Amino acid sequence: MTTTALEHELKEMIIETLELEDVTPDDIDRDEPLFVEGLGLDSIDALELGLALQKRYGITLESEAESSRQHFANLKSLAALVESRRQK
Amino acid sequence: MTDLYLQDWRAWTPHRETAGECRLDTREKPAGAAVPSMLRRRLNLLGRAVCDMLATLDSGADSIVLHASRHGDGERTLEMLYGLNDGEPLSPARFGLSVHNATVGVYSIASGNRRSQQAVAASGGEWAALMAEARGYLADGQPSVIIVFSDQPVPRRFAAYAPESSSAAVVLRLGRDPNPGARRLSETSVELELETATLQPLDIIDWLMDRRRVVACPLSRRSWQFPAVRP
Repeated sequence: MTTTALEHELKEMIIETLELEDVTPDDIDRDEPLFVEGLGLDSIDALELGLALQKRYGITLESEAESSRQHFANLKSLAALVESRRQK
Repeated sequence: MTDLYLQDWRAWTPHRETAGECRLDTREKPAGAAVPSMLRRRLNLLGRAVCDMLATLDSGADSIVLHASRHGDGERTLEMLYGLNDGEPLSPARFGLSVHNATVGVYSIASGNRRSQQAVAASGGEWAALMAEARGYLADGQPSVIIVFSDQPVPRRFAAYAPESSSAAVVLRLGRDPNPGARRLSETSVELELETATLQPLDIIDWLMDRRRVVACPLSRRSWQFPAVRP
């Protein structure tokens, strides 16, 4: 799977999991922040997204780790995380 | 006892006709336009209706808000419990919105209203509880308070154990003073069989639209009506 295809898959997962009613995959820029600014997600979304990554890709994140903040910075970094740590 | 006036109201239910009453919204899907989309996405239809009506009656975002619902979001809560029983992880967003004060909490965030809020469940005595709480705040010096009464059908798996209820919500602004158009509310003691049906939001809507004269709570043995002649 190319990175672009994975990014698209992640966009759809974000929209579906976080029930983003008025957002389409095209609205999510791979370089824009996902949280607070950019897409405007909040801390509950971060927990929800962590759960979705665990369910779909078998990735468990350490909630307190600074690295989690970096993984969740934008779609590009999220795709890099999934690519390197996915179990399924 | 403190005089009580109904200053204004709004209601939502798809189970009644408007009959020309503009304060009743009968749309299947309320807009939820009062709440930004990033907050609105987590509200169910009832929550969206309540937030829109609150925004209308609490335009200054400075009213005390009392919310009662017998079952709350029973469907969401029950599905989470079944999920836990099956060993599934809990969705943080669903958990956050399953609590009894979720809707008024979202309203508070969206509107910036930081006044007191209460969320009440009273085993069928919700209306009486709301009136008692409202009277307390008014007697304490508040010029007005907003009360919300909402409910939705009990989850199918539990429907046999509770009276049938329909999706409906009603929001009223009650005050100590009769502003223009206000109706005085009288409350009296009444003898009722305990088996008498408990009040639901649809009953209050019918009462507000003068389709019934009196509403009564068998648990508190109180009844409410609008006296025909204003003093």
